[in-house]
Amino acid sequence: MRRVAIVGAGLTKFYRNAQETPKELAYEAARMALDSCEMKLSDIDCVVMGTAPDAFDGVHMKGEYLADGAGAYRKPYMRHFVGGGTGVLSPIHGWFHVASGMFDTCLVVAEEKMSSAYPHPAGAFLTIFDHTTEQPLYPTLIWIFAIEMNRFMTTWGYKKEDIALVAVKNKRNALDHPSAQLGAEITVQDVLNSEIMAWPVNRLDISPTSDGAAAIVLAAEHVARRVTEKPIWIDGVGWCLDTAYWCTRDLYYPDYVEVAARMAYKMAGIKEPSKEIHVAEPYDPFTYKELHHIEGLLLAPRGKSVEMLKDGYFNRDGNLPTCPSGGALGVGNPISATGLMKIIEIFLQLRGEAGKRQVPGKPTCGLAQAWGDLMQVGTVVVMRS
Amino acid sequence: MALIERFQKVTDVTYWEGQIPMSYIYTVGRAGEKFFREMINGKIFGAKCNQCNLIYVPPRIYCEKCFERLEENYLEVGTKGKVHTFTQCYETYDGVRKEVPSIVAVIRIDGTEGGFVHWLGEVEFKDVYFGMPVEAVFKDKKEREGSILDIKYFRPIK
Repeated sequence: MRRVAIVGAGLTKFYRNAQETPKELAYEAARMALDSCEMKLSDIDCVVMGTAPDAFDGVHMKGEYLADGAGAYRKPYMRHFVGGGTGVLSPIHGWFHVASGMFDTCLVVAEEKMSSAYPHPAGAFLTIFDHTTEQPLYPTLIWIFAIEMNRFMTTWGYKKEDIALVAVKNKRNALDHPSAQLGAEITVQDVLNSEIMAWPVNRLDISPTSDGAAAIVLAAEHVARRVTEKPIWIDGVGWCLDTAYWCTRDLYYPDYVEVAARMAYKMAGIKEPSKEIHVAEPYDPFTYKELHHIEGLLLAPRGKSVEMLKDGYFNRDGNLPTCPSGGALGVGNPISATGLMKIIEIFLQLRGEAGKRQVPGKPTCGLAQAWGDLMQVGTVVVMRS
Repeated sequence: MALIERFQKVTDVTYWEGQIPMSYIYTVGRAGEKFFREMINGKIFGAKCNQCNLIYVPPRIYCEKCFERLEENYLEVGTKGKVHTFTQCYETYDGVRKEVPSIVAVIRIDGTEGGFVHWLGEVEFKDVYFGMPVEAVFKDKKEREGSILDIKYFRPIK
């Protein structure tokens, strides 16, 4: 396998009710990624597209619809989709294309326009549930997260007010992100006082409905060295899908994230992730999910992540900064674009180009992770400068 | 790397209201046929994998772990279980506030690896706990139609 580097990146602002069509969002991110490394579309050998349910944008066969906006005109093109895990599968999918020797360059684009779904994109989730044993109960996505959060909290004796610190941290971090939709100074009390959705989930525990797109340019080593002085290498990739019978799992721990992480760590030669990973972007669509994933990624011992959070361990200036971007809770959550936004954050952090968001200590190894489908997929990428 | 700076534009844009107008008829499947026909009889069925020594509820025609065929191994599993985890929800699936919040739980059926999500009834939210013994409450027999809704809810075993 050939070594593959990220050499350029582009990200639109995340916001609700974008005027741009999904294609236009994809174009803005893709064009920005090319411009960032002074490449032209003609330098790109193939294109991969990450985009989640067709039902959000309301365009059936969304991959095909988006192709031209993503720069795929008359090029080899593939779309992939693993729900919320899509955005971190995107660079993995692009990595195959280049690592295999098939292509020297790959443009990776992720797009989501959730605000098209009316009256609310939450309605689109009804049909992800089993059509005969679950849909008749009219399940909501928030239910199943509330059910999982309760299992996670109660198993370890975590308190709701402590988990709320994730929202405080991420929304504060997002104040420094120019793409952010929901950067804010809030308090734990604000989270607890926000509207209760499904106990123990309040509104401020949840990431917003967002529109946005992200893109990166991948290159084989000989091209990467020519294009940039600061290539960021994809050194480990991992992904894993658990059963769709989510009620049969013990929801307190994401085993599938651990399997994906171990796969990526093995490939990257990482033996002690909590020491060797300097900065991480775990997926945080809900407050507890960041902690759930930190434990699944073996970045904290099981049952200890909340204590570490309270000690400031995951702050931007802490031992292991997590979601320095502001994450899905702060920057916003246009599903697949969020995962790729996290990849871009690690890319910028490892290049020392994250501006006000830069974590101290010149990090050289970082990780991004996403999660989704019916609480069943983990996608992990380890990157080094 | 520059980033696009934009403001939210929620007015003064031209738009078209559309739909993806499709309806579906979902078969319950081969394992589902057994499960739902027995539901009318007030029984819950599962499927046993003898190789892995575990029982799936609802039943399936295959074991997802070893890929053995399980169609000969359907069995009745009783109507009692325990609360694995739970929530009380305040909104409907399309984001509308409920007048009365409902309690939703994952129920593990006793003696099995399986279970499903359903409502809890005849109980206050504050009294629900992990491991709480519960039993299925079925609709009257003449109202049952072979649906997961033939179970009205699960209630605590007194």
